[in-house]
Amino acid sequence: MNRRHFLRFSAVAATSLYASQGFVTQPKDDQTVSEVAFAEKKPLITYSNRPPLLETPIEYFDRAVTPNELFFVRWHMPIIPTVKWIDGFHLSVQGEVENSLFLSMKNLKNDFTPVEITAVVQCGGNSRSAFHPTPVGIQWGNGAMGCAKFKGVRLKEILEKAKLTDNAKWLLFGGGDKPVKADIPDFQRELSIHELRDDIIVAYEQNGEDIPFLNGYPLRLIIPGYFADSWVKQLDSITVTKEYTPSFFMDVAYRMPKNGCRCEEPQKKVKESEPLSWMEVKSVIAKPKNHAKYKAGSNIQIKGVAFDGGSGIAKVEISLDGGASWKETNLGKELGKYAFRVFTYNLKPLNKGKLTIMARATNNKGQTQPFAHEIGWNHGGYAYNGIDTIELEIV
Amino acid sequence: MKKFFLVFALLGTLQAKTYTKDVVMPNMSFSIPVDKNIIVMQRNCQWCHSYGYIINMGKQNEAFWRHIVHKMRDTFKAPISEQDEKIVLEYLMKYFGKQD
Ligand code: HEC
Repeated sequence: MNRRHFLRFSAVAATSLYASQGFVTQPKDDQTVSEVAFAEKKPLITYSNRPPLLETPIEYFDRAVTPNELFFVRWHMPIIPTVKWIDGFHLSVQGEVENSLFLSMKNLKNDFTPVEITAVVQCGGNSRSAFHPTPVGIQWGNGAMGCAKFKGVRLKEILEKAKLTDNAKWLLFGGGDKPVKADIPDFQRELSIHELRDDIIVAYEQNGEDIPFLNGYPLRLIIPGYFADSWVKQLDSITVTKEYTPSFFMDVAYRMPKNGCRCEEPQKKVKESEPLSWMEVKSVIAKPKNHAKYKAGSNIQIKGVAFDGGSGIAKVEISLDGGASWKETNLGKELGKYAFRVFTYNLKPLNKGKLTIMARATNNKGQTQPFAHEIGWNHGGYAYNGIDTIELEIV
Repeated sequence: MKKFFLVFALLGTLQAKTYTKDVVMPNMSFSIPVDKNIIVMQRNCQWCHSYGYIINMGKQNEAFWRHIVHKMRDTFKAPISEQDEKIVLEYLMKYFGKQD
């Protein structure tokens, strides 16, 4: 059985859930920051405490590396074990391998070659609030993403030590958060061995520190270019299998319609779907804030970040006339193909009134962001990458 | 009894040496309106996540909320009785509902 043939779960979908046509707008950006701060975090936009769901406010995307204390948080299950006794923590590698491994943090740090990669991690449902009617799922603004420098060990090196057997076809990754009842689907993620590449790492550091507890301490799977649902947190097991193992979070959640437009009608879910994987080119404007007021003639700097699934950013352009004409922005240093790239653009508006500012990124493959209204609706509200638009008031 | 002591003593020393992080989750709650049906919400909807999940959806129509409640029951195995399902829906429509 493979992913494509595994459609049993999707029969659960309701048919008459939505009455209206689907359409896509700008995601919401008027959320407020909580008064309460979580462990190792500054106060962030907080949708839930159990499990914790924290979004990074948009103004912090004015830099290429998102500080750990501002990094968004997304767990699926209410029970997250706190790994306090780190010497007792192990990553197990089992199944279709010649040597089963049981690796302590010391093993990982001492017996393998350390590698570093700066990469964007973005929730598949980031910006979901752009989709109408409301797709089921957390109504994120643009801040369910971040970019960090991760340090760890190549997954390939671990698997070489374990020696895959000829039967090895799938890798099943297990993380620490657990459901409250045994029959609730647990969060797990699966990769085909054909998806293996050198830059997938098992990380123990984020931005030069231990990975923050809420971001998956002590180990997190880093799959640069892929959406975050594959970046298993508190990674504690890798099971190598011959057959694909069906699971709710692979086969029902985090799937996109598999057709040309990757879109569907709200009343009619497309039958064939595929798991989310590669991220598409996207950019967000961090500053100024939407609806900010400025005096005519003042100097304004537009600042934000752009990224894609790993080809790298070729250019980011700004439009001040609703998309009729575009001007190139200045790009900051490239920290890596998978990293945020900062863009800046200076302007001095002289005319009073409303000023609409749009930002559009193009990657090295020549792919460009669509306007929000050109994006097709999908039932999970996944993978929004519309041209970010803000409106200033010049007085 | 002796055996137990030994195990505890050992664990104690091991942990004391290696405790690295003390993680305390902040004390906060997401509250939803209290009326006569709150008890039904309490016994059905706060096991697996906070009410924050409900609040975050914003106002939605009845089909949406019915879909959610069925998803909780069928996919996530929440033990919601037929009687409670009706009351939960009524409650959700009252405070988080909209007409199409
Ligand atoms: C048995 C566990 C359980 C119970 C009980 C439960 N839920 Fe959920 N609920 C979940 C899980 C699991 C998710 C998905 C969590 C995630 O992805 O973060 C979820 C998500 C949600 C969401 C977000 C939308 C979505 O589908 O992702 C809403 C709204 C929600 N639940 C409402 C309710 C309501 C209302 C009740 C009471 C009738 C309820 N839940 C009871 C497990 C449960």
